[in-house]
Amino acid sequence: MATQNGRLGTAALYASMLLLLFVFIGPIIWFVLLSIRPADMFFTMPPVLVFTPSWDSINYAFGDPGNNLPQLLNSFIVAAGAVLLNLPFSLPAAYALSRFRIKGRKHLMMWYLGLLMAPPVAFLIPYAILASAAGIKGSYLSMILILQTLTIPFSIWLLRSFIDEVPVEIEEAARVDGASTATILMRIVLPLILPGLIVTSMFAFVFSWNNAAFPLVLSNRATATLPIGTLRYFGTAGVTWGFIAAAAVAAMIPPMLIFLALDRYVVRGLTFGSVKG
Amino acid sequence: MSSTSTLPRRGRRLPSYVPWLLITPSIILLVALIAFPLLFALKNSFYFWNLQMSPTPMGFIGWGNYEMALSGGLFAGALYNTLLITVVGTAIEFVLGLAIALLLVRQLPGMSVTRALLIMPTTIAPIVVGFLFRYMYDPGGGLIPWLLASLGIPLPAAGLLGSSTTALWAILFADVWQWTPFFAIVLYAGLLSIPSDIIEAARIDRTSPWAMLMRIKIPLIKKTVMIVIMLRFMQLFNTFDLVLVLTKGGPGASTRTLGYSLYQYGLVDFNIGLASAMTWLMVIVVNAIIALLVFFAFKELD
Repeated sequence: MATQNGRLGTAALYASMLLLLFVFIGPIIWFVLLSIRPADMFFTMPPVLVFTPSWDSINYAFGDPGNNLPQLLNSFIVAAGAVLLNLPFSLPAAYALSRFRIKGRKHLMMWYLGLLMAPPVAFLIPYAILASAAGIKGSYLSMILILQTLTIPFSIWLLRSFIDEVPVEIEEAARVDGASTATILMRIVLPLILPGLIVTSMFAFVFSWNNAAFPLVLSNRATATLPIGTLRYFGTAGVTWGFIAAAAVAAMIPPMLIFLALDRYVVRGLTFGSVKG
Repeated sequence: MSSTSTLPRRGRRLPSYVPWLLITPSIILLVALIAFPLLFALKNSFYFWNLQMSPTPMGFIGWGNYEMALSGGLFAGALYNTLLITVVGTAIEFVLGLAIALLLVRQLPGMSVTRALLIMPTTIAPIVVGFLFRYMYDPGGGLIPWLLASLGIPLPAAGLLGSSTTALWAILFADVWQWTPFFAIVLYAGLLSIPSDIIEAARIDRTSPWAMLMRIKIPLIKKTVMIVIMLRFMQLFNTFDLVLVLTKGGPGASTRTLGYSLYQYGLVDFNIGLASAMTWLMVIVVNAIIALLVFFAFKELD
């Protein structure tokens, strides 16, 4: 196709590519620069792109006193916990929905999808009151539990699309040889769908990591995740932009790295397995 | 819950309870996590209950909360803001995303790197995108006001987020920045899947580029188009994080979306009764939209 563009066309295409990168990546770089800007240059206009970096903001956030360091850990605990808890629920369900002809399967899949599109705040507020009554509000568990409303439906959809691609003949052959269902699942199915399981888990991790509404309401000072800790900087006298950027950039990095690593599956992950990338 | 289930083709029959044994735990947990709180909210929506005054509901008031939400214009105003950014935002993101996808399909050297980088805004937590844009919108030296001023575009004195005429559009702009790449990447994948001989045949027939797009390319990726528009429409409808960080629903109530209203009434004003009534009104609207989308767009999915 490129051959038909001609030299001028190719130049125009490259120019638009650069413009795209400027528009969509520029702001991210601008924000990363904020985390290493000296405090007197946060709002210097016209923009200054070359300056002697100051590590004060990052040091304040993650070194000394390092208030955001435990929040970074909390984000990991909550997201990893949400992924681990969802697997025993979503893996068997995804397998059954892929392999068996169940009455109402389509409706069930639509129900899971509907949950993914439900307004989180709607059930979050009553959930918070109930969690308070149950004495678990503020705990990691309260956040990990409610995140299942996202991770389970998401994983079922995405995992099912991966399991659909594993040929069923291998399982059938083993069944004919008299292997039990448990053996088939553990010895044959699991190794075959492991790549899909890993991809699904990583996307579910990003999904949970990026959720802010749940921890905003359910966490306490000790269990606050990174974005919630970042939000607190707005409450203090005079918004401390360097600290905000240092903490927020740290919150950006894991999802970015995971998406770069899973480049091949990004389309599938973002559309819950319904569009093959 | 009985069904006859077999492994597709040649498999021996398994007892019909096996698949349900595998599926039911997920259903039970999800129903417990969502239906139970919603039923709790349904009960609360008929009571006056301010959480700051009392840990338990303070009196049955029938439809009072609903009347307050509906006749006070609280619900209608939030619904209007929500629909506005949802419809306009989805449309802008789709059109821009499609344009970018058509550019990416040209397969030049360096395109794959561009594509991998382009999705980065979408990977960021919406709340963090909120932080980023609040910095860029800052009236005292933010990048965007400076750019606009350099171009000679007049700005509201209170800043883009501080003026009720521009605040909602400023929120929308941040969302467009974050989600246009999502459309671009998914539609690009769709366009790639179109068999090249179809395109070639159309080109030999001298089909104009516009006709090629509207009559051949888009119809061929219709399913993908439906899926992304639907997913994005619902996510935008539930927008919360961006509003929280950028405007807290202000100035006045000019950026109060449905999602943010629930939070405002329930967890800022602690009016649990009103928030619960708003919750149910929103649940009804969301379910109606999902039902419509599934009915019109999602029949062929699965």
